[in-house]
Amino acid sequence: MTDHGHDHDHDHPHEAITADERPGYYEIMETAVRELLVERKLFGADEIRRQIEVLDSRTPTLGAKVVARAWMDPAYKERLLENGRTACEELGITFYDDTQLIVLENTADVHNLIVCTLCSCYPRPVLGLPPDWYKLKPYRARAVHEPRAVLEEFGTHIPDDVEIRVSDSTAVIRYLVLPLRPAGTEALSEDELADLVTRDAMIGVIPVSYEKEAA
Amino acid sequence: MGSELLVKKLPNDIGGESAGKIERVEHELLPWEKRCHALADVLDFHKIINTEEKRRGVEALGSEMVGKLTYYERWIAAFANILFQKGILTPGELAVKMEEVERRWLASQQSAS
Repeated sequence: MTDHGHDHDHDHPHEAITADERPGYYEIMETAVRELLVERKLFGADEIRRQIEVLDSRTPTLGAKVVARAWMDPAYKERLLENGRTACEELGITFYDDTQLIVLENTADVHNLIVCTLCSCYPRPVLGLPPDWYKLKPYRARAVHEPRAVLEEFGTHIPDDVEIRVSDSTAVIRYLVLPLRPAGTEALSEDELADLVTRDAMIGVIPVSYEKEAA
Repeated sequence: MGSELLVKKLPNDIGGESAGKIERVEHELLPWEKRCHALADVLDFHKIINTEEKRRGVEALGSEMVGKLTYYERWIAAFANILFQKGILTPGELAVKMEEVERRWLASQQSAS
């Protein structure tokens, strides 16, 4: 049976958003809750605006920067694997929440994959918001018990002699995959390396690939 | 399957279940969804509702609501319930405020036309 509940809300296109579109029930609820809490002085309206800016500033390019630095600088990689959060902060990536970050290194023998089986915990400070598929049942349910099959659905084949480790995130512990540096990238600069690193590679569902551009 | 599984495995606890093929869907958040996300973060910063309380609040909506509401609809419904439980808001206050928000939108439509 497939899970065709309303988790699939994104499947049908949203109507164009215009200023005069009638807000839905839950949108009205969001506005009402927020305004009531601001009236009670539990927080300021400016804090919501500021947090929206923070959310907008978080994209996978931050995580890519961390990965590229780790590939270039072995001492940095060691610090990153020791404490993900402080190593990210070293690069100016602030953590706006109380989460800790554990960075999992892919090697020739081990491939890592991250999931949140209970909900949608994700390394938001370094990757931004998770894609919908990460929050939906098929990925959450299956990643922990048939990761190879899941990875095949992403087009990723992991040989049988490579161990797959799946890490299940919690409210306070988040994970980030440090992918394998692709072959042939020895001459690339740190910025060029960062450009190769994608969000999905840092979730662990695909490898980082590099094809040398034809001259 | 015995009913004890309902006790041992709450609705969110789906790791290890069988499920369909992964469809690689994504969408840009709607403006209200992004506001809802920012609200969640601010509630967490102020220790009003933390991430785990939010998750349990969603779970407490029950499997029917979890199945029928979208991701951020579940969040705001959970926030409202948690705020009622904590005595920070009452259902009546929220209902009055929601009417006010809707009336304000209707008024803005009239003045615009």
